[in-house]
This record gives sequence, C-alpha cells and structure tokens, in this order.
Amino acid sequence: MPPFLRNLFRFQESGLLLVILVLGVLLTAFAGTVRTPKFERTADGGRQRVFTTDAEGNRTPAFEVKNKFLNAQNLAQLAKDTSFIAIMAVGMAIVIISGGIDLSVGSIYALASVLGAMVLHHFGPEGTALAPLAACALGVLVCLATGALCGLANGGLIVALGVHPFIITLGAMAILRGIAFVATKGQSIGGFPADLREFVRFELGNGLSVVPLLVMVVVTVLGWIYLSRLAAGRRVYAIGGNEQAARFSGIRVGRVKLGVYVLAGLAAGVSAVLSLGYYGAATSGDGQGYELNVIAAAVVGGCSLTGGRGSALGVVLGALIIQMIASGIVILGIDQNYSQIIIGAVVIAAVVLDNVNTWLAKRRLTRA
Amino acid sequence: MAHLEFQSITKRFPGVLALDGVSFAIPRGTCHALIGENGAGKSTLGKILAGVYTADAGEMRLDGKPIAPADPLAARALGIAMVHQELAFCPNMSVAENLCLGDLPLRAGGFVDRPALRARAREMLASIHADIDPDALIGTLSTGKEQLVQIAAAVGTGAQVIVMDEPSSSLSAGETRELFTLVRKLKARGLTLIYVSHRMSELFELCDHITVLRDGRHVATEAIPATTPARVVSQMIGRELRAQTPAHLARPAGRERLRLEALSSPGKFSDITLSVRAGEIVGLAGLVGAGRSETVQAAFGLDPAATGRVLVNDRPIAPRSIEAALAARLGLLPEDRKRQGLVLGLNCRENTALASLPVLSRLGWVRRGLERSLADRYQKRLRVKAPSLETIVGGLSGGNQQKIALAKWLARDCDILLIDEPTRGVDVGAKAEIYALLDELACEGKALLVVSSELPELLGLCTRILVLRAGRLAGEVPRTDFSETALMRLMAGVEPAAA
Repeated sequence: MPPFLRNLFRFQESGLLLVILVLGVLLTAFAGTVRTPKFERTADGGRQRVFTTDAEGNRTPAFEVKNKFLNAQNLAQLAKDTSFIAIMAVGMAIVIISGGIDLSVGSIYALASVLGAMVLHHFGPEGTALAPLAACALGVLVCLATGALCGLANGGLIVALGVHPFIITLGAMAILRGIAFVATKGQSIGGFPADLREFVRFELGNGLSVVPLLVMVVVTVLGWIYLSRLAAGRRVYAIGGNEQAARFSGIRVGRVKLGVYVLAGLAAGVSAVLSLGYYGAATSGDGQGYELNVIAAAVVGGCSLTGGRGSALGVVLGALIIQMIASGIVILGIDQNYSQIIIGAVVIAAVVLDNVNTWLAKRRLTRA
Repeated sequence: MAHLEFQSITKRFPGVLALDGVSFAIPRGTCHALIGENGAGKSTLGKILAGVYTADAGEMRLDGKPIAPADPLAARALGIAMVHQELAFCPNMSVAENLCLGDLPLRAGGFVDRPALRARAREMLASIHADIDPDALIGTLSTGKEQLVQIAAAVGTGAQVIVMDEPSSSLSAGETRELFTLVRKLKARGLTLIYVSHRMSELFELCDHITVLRDGRHVATEAIPATTPARVVSQMIGRELRAQTPAHLARPAGRERLRLEALSSPGKFSDITLSVRAGEIVGLAGLVGAGRSETVQAAFGLDPAATGRVLVNDRPIAPRSIEAALAARLGLLPEDRKRQGLVLGLNCRENTALASLPVLSRLGWVRRGLERSLADRYQKRLRVKAPSLETIVGGLSGGNQQKIALAKWLARDCDILLIDEPTRGVDVGAKAEIYALLDELACEGKALLVVSSELPELLGLCTRILVLRAGRLAGEVPRTDFSETALMRLMAGVEPAAA
C-alpha cells in the first residue's frame, strides 16, 4: 500500500468521515421527496417561476421533485448551520484538550452578539449615521473583543483562583447571559447597516451562503495550525495530558490556560459576528443551549474530556455530525422537541464508544 | 497442606512482563516475606492476591480451592485483605465511618445508626489494640495510624490473609515497633501475613519464610533460619555485583557548577548547603521523609516556599522560578516519571522535545525537521527501544520511559542534571545502561546530583555522597570511605560505636 493510502486509513478522522457518509446515505434514503416550484434565472439576474405551456396554450406553473435531504438548498442550510457551531467547537476543542471545559460559550456568543448589535444599531441607519463600512468594522471589533475579554475573564479566574473550570464557566454562563439581558432590557436589537448583512449573506448560486462556510474553513485551518504546528499547541496537549509533567518541563501552565479560554471566547465572538450578519438582529436569548451542541461536537469529534487528545478537524466533523442529526430530525418529520434528547444521547454514545476503543487499544498493547 | 498456593502466576503490563510463572506456597499462621528489587514483581503479586489486578495466567489456591478474586471486594469475601501504602480511605470521613463503609449499621428508613457505628469501630480497633479515636477524621491521622486503621478494617471484616505492601516504608521507628508487635499478635491468632518489603533486617526479624523474586520470576522460597541476608541479596541480584569503577572518577573534577546556599523550606528541609562540580556525580542519600526529593525540586525552582540561594556557575539565579533554572541549564529528572516526568499520552518525539520547545520553535512554529532530528539523536544515543519516534510513551517499558524522561533534558542541553531516583521501576538490563550513561555524562563535564533510595546504586556511581537526615545535611562521605554501614549510620542518626 502506498504511504499516502496507509496514512489515510490510519487517519484519526477517517471514522468520523465514515459516520458522516453513512448518516448522509441514511438521510437521503429515508427523507422522501418534496415538490417545490421551479425557478429560473432571468437575464438581469433575478429569479422567476418557470411555466409550462401545454398544447392548448394554458400556462401552468412547473414543479420539480427533490430529495428532502439531498438538495442544494438543504445542504447549503446545513453547511451554514454547521459553521456557526463548528467555529465555536474549534475553540472548545482547544480548551478540552488542555483538560478544561467552557460551559459559557453560548452566553459569550449571546453577549458578544448583543453588544455588537448595540454598536451596529447605534451607528446604523436609525442612529448616529457613521460611514456604513466604519460602523460595520466597529461592530465586528466589539463582537470579537467581547468574546476575547469574556474568555480572558474565565481563564483569569480559573488560573488565579485555582477553581475547576466547570465551576467558573458555569457561573460565567449565567452572569454573561444576565449582562446581555440587562443591557438589552430583553429587547431584540436590529437596524444594522445593510453592508454587513449583504456581505455575510452573499450567495453563490442556489442559496449557498459561502461566507460562514469560508470563515469556518479558515478557523479550522487556524485551529489545526495552532494545535499541531505551533509550540503553543504542543503545550496545550502536554498540559491536558499531564499538567504536573508539563510544569516540571518548564511550561508556564497558567499562561497557556489563560490563552485557551481567550481563544474559546474569541471563537464564540467570530460566530457572533456571523450570526449578526446573517440574522440582522440579536437578543439576549441567542445561543441558548449552544454549549450542549458545541461540547457535543467536540466530544463526538474525538476530544477526550480528560484532556490531551483531540484535533481541530475532528471537532469540525463532529459539528457536522451533530448538525446532520439536528437537521435529520426536521427532515424526517420527528417532533423538534426530541432533538435535545437525541443529541444528548449521541454525546453519551460517543463517549462510550471512545472508552471501548481506548480499552481495546490498551488490551492490544498488553497482548503485544 | 499449604494454606495459600501460587501456581505459575503470570502478569503482563504494557511493555513489561511483571510476573512470569511464579509458584510457591505459604503455610497457615505464618508471616511470609516477599522480597525483590524494584520491578521484581513483589507488589504485583500481592495485588493479584488482593484482587487489585487479575493474573493473565496461572492459579491461586486457598486451602486447596482455586480462587480468582476479580476485585478487592471479592478478595475480601474470601478473607484476603491488603494494607496499602497509598491512602485507601476517604480522608474527610471519620475512622468509624471508614471502618464500616462497606456495611454501615442502619436504622429503619436508611438512617445510619451512629451509636452502633461507633461501637463496632471501637471493637474493631480494640481487637488490634490500636489506641485511635473512632471519631477522628482519617485525614488527620499519621500514616502509621492510618495503616493501623487499615489493619483493623481487615481483621474486623474477618480477613484470614493480610498482604502488607511496604508497611514500614513511611513509619517512624516507634511506629515500626508497634507494627511488629501487632504482626506477631495476628500471627499467634492464626492469621497468615504476606509482608512485601525490601528491608532485609525487618524481614529476618519478623518473618518465617522468605520468597525472592527477580525480574518477575520466582528465585527461591526458604525458611528464614535456613538462609542469610547475604544469600538473599545474591538471589535478588542474581549475580555478584560487579565492582566496576565509573570512568568519571579517573578525570579531575572541573569548576563548580551548582551551589546551594542555606536552602530551606518550612516543614521540608532546612539550611542545605552543597556544591556540585563539573564532571562529578554527587549522591544524595537519606531515609524516606529526609527531604531529598524536596531539596532537588527546590533547587529547580519548584518550591514556592523555598528560601536561600541557588548559584549556577557562581551566579545566583532567581529562586522559585523554573524558567530561571532552565535558563541556567538545569534539568530535573523527577522521582515519579509517570506523574511528573512524562506526558504518557504523547509520543517519544513530543516528550523528548517538551522542555526544548522555546529552542525548537521560531516565531511560535515548531521546526519539525529539527525536532525530529533532535529526538532521533537522543533516541539512538540512549538506545531507547521503541518502534519509532511516533510511539506513544505510555506503552513503553519503565526503562525506556526513564530514558525518554532523561532525553528530554539532554535535548535541552543541560549542564547540571538533578536526577531523582534514576532507576526506580526499571529492569536490571536498563539499569546498567542508565548507570553507564550517567557516568558518560559526567565524563563529558556535566554536573550530576543524584538522589536514590538504593544505596548500592549510589555507592557504585558517585564521586561522593551527601546524607540528609530529617531535612538537614547529616554529613558527607567521600568515595574512599564508601560503605553501606557508614551511610546507614548517617541516615539513621546512629553514632559510630567506638566514638
């Protein structure tokens, strides 16, 4: 076997790809079909319905029959939904590999969205008009800075107080959402400069929003570089694998830990920017329960909650699996309310599978 | 008939065969010594009997009936209990609660019957004549007292066989006496004891039979009166100790590399002043609790409470800072390589490079070619037996793991190496290789400070040996005066008889 193929088989994420493939085939097979009106492009770039004219000259609107899962619109939707979760999951992966956890990502996402929205609204068409581009840049900056600062606060408290990250981020989860609520008085905030929305919703062909997708790819690549090519990433693995040994090797454990929470917060900020652009509004209730999906993506993607193991690509594939399941629930016509139950069960199943796998590997080692 | 029989017991751990077909028998009501070098398999055998591990092959028989306890609870049901060195109780619960944890006396409705609990605990403690308050929290007891509670728990639950793993290793002299008295009483009551230790004198005083293990194999089982300590030692080692003189002794020592001045840490050690010169291997001996590991860790900047000065090449370095120690080219091979020395989930290359990341990276990027060649160089030089640089360290044998832990500091190009227990849990072959390597490093002009619990190791390797006793420097023995007796006297604080 050529080395390339062998590497592909040994490739840690190949199992995830297989799961995605199987899920895709199953969803396609069971989704059934849907009849949708047929559109065509006009010469000036707009869309218009297609009509068929029969022998008697009657024009009837044309329909096309599509697979509910395997069609361009649905896949584009899936890709967009995945990217919001996947971007945060890359940040979460780094935290989990360092042996920590961040329960506050959903709240950081909400606070960053809300603060960004307030800036965009303030300088938007309904407020003190600023050059639209400058207003957008300011809004984006506020989003990212809020995310990073929230992460810094998490990391700082975890390192300085020596309290388990679960506790600190559990508290932060409530506090940050509370701040978002107080800041907005529970109102939805919209009225942004149109440019942001136009940029993020820029579509390629059939409703495929490429911008969130591209951002996800960039974040994944950056995460991959950080974890596997930079010294900082190596330190993260070392700390997650054995914090004491890392300290004994001269690694500044506190500084590295601080960094991983900042990155997780920043990732939530990036997602918040995309959501502002995509939905054009924000409320303090945004991203409720995202921590479940994000942690689920990381765990399904091969991160070990004991630390020291995981990869950026893995968690992005994990996010895709979670999102496929969520979208599958809709497509298969299962009651929406079951989605949390199913995702929760998937997380537990993934961990059990991982434990079995570790156990098998250990046994192989012993027998060898 | 033998009370307890081991028949071809075999146990394999990742990378090492811990027990290889061990067979022997123990009569009822005796105290049976189990002795062997570190890694000989004595603790493993005890743990298999107590259900902590299960054997891969072989059979154990209790009164002729085959037994195979799957876990410590099953062993308990068979009347087999183990007294551990490690904490076996919940430290934040009372002695009484811990003693009855498996079988709490209850009132109707699931409430704990406190008076009954206390009474039962008192009874259990009285049965071994232990003077311990049943309401005291376990966490507040000394190690010796906690061990007594463990024994009380074992005896109180009807144990017929008690495995004691290095019971005296962290006891004071007085506590050890108490333990001995207790062991004799238990024996008189018909209990069978398995006493795992490497303290020869204790075994000869206390035990009826002795079984020697070496590299996981059974060497001999003899009645104590029929053997001698010297005979047991040669059985443990399996060969006469070669009195080979290390090569570094033939070279003149260079300039002073490391000096500790009045290094102190409250409750650990105080006023340690010593120096190590280039080309020297200085030994640091002492009993458990004398402050050896604590001293070298403080020299490496790991002790936030340390006071005093650490000088490298006559220049003081910032105390309590690992970065300063690293910058001064100090390296520490810690005592417990699994907890402190290695990241077991990472591979050989990553572990070797762990301390050298600042050197190996440019603008935060790890230079992978450089990293690989560095790791490869030390893998070859230390003769690490691993399938490749990408092999996960957790699967390697103790000796190879130790070499990787050492490679980490050699890769960092340290001039001064603080080495804590260089060969703990390392098999005999790798031990010799590590000794040769340390000698070679000294010949290259590195300064080595070696802590070890194994006196023969220090006697064979060192230029001179410093002895710590109860956190203070008790004396220095130059190579010309090397002898186990001289060291033991200093370690235990016994004045020479003729003085």
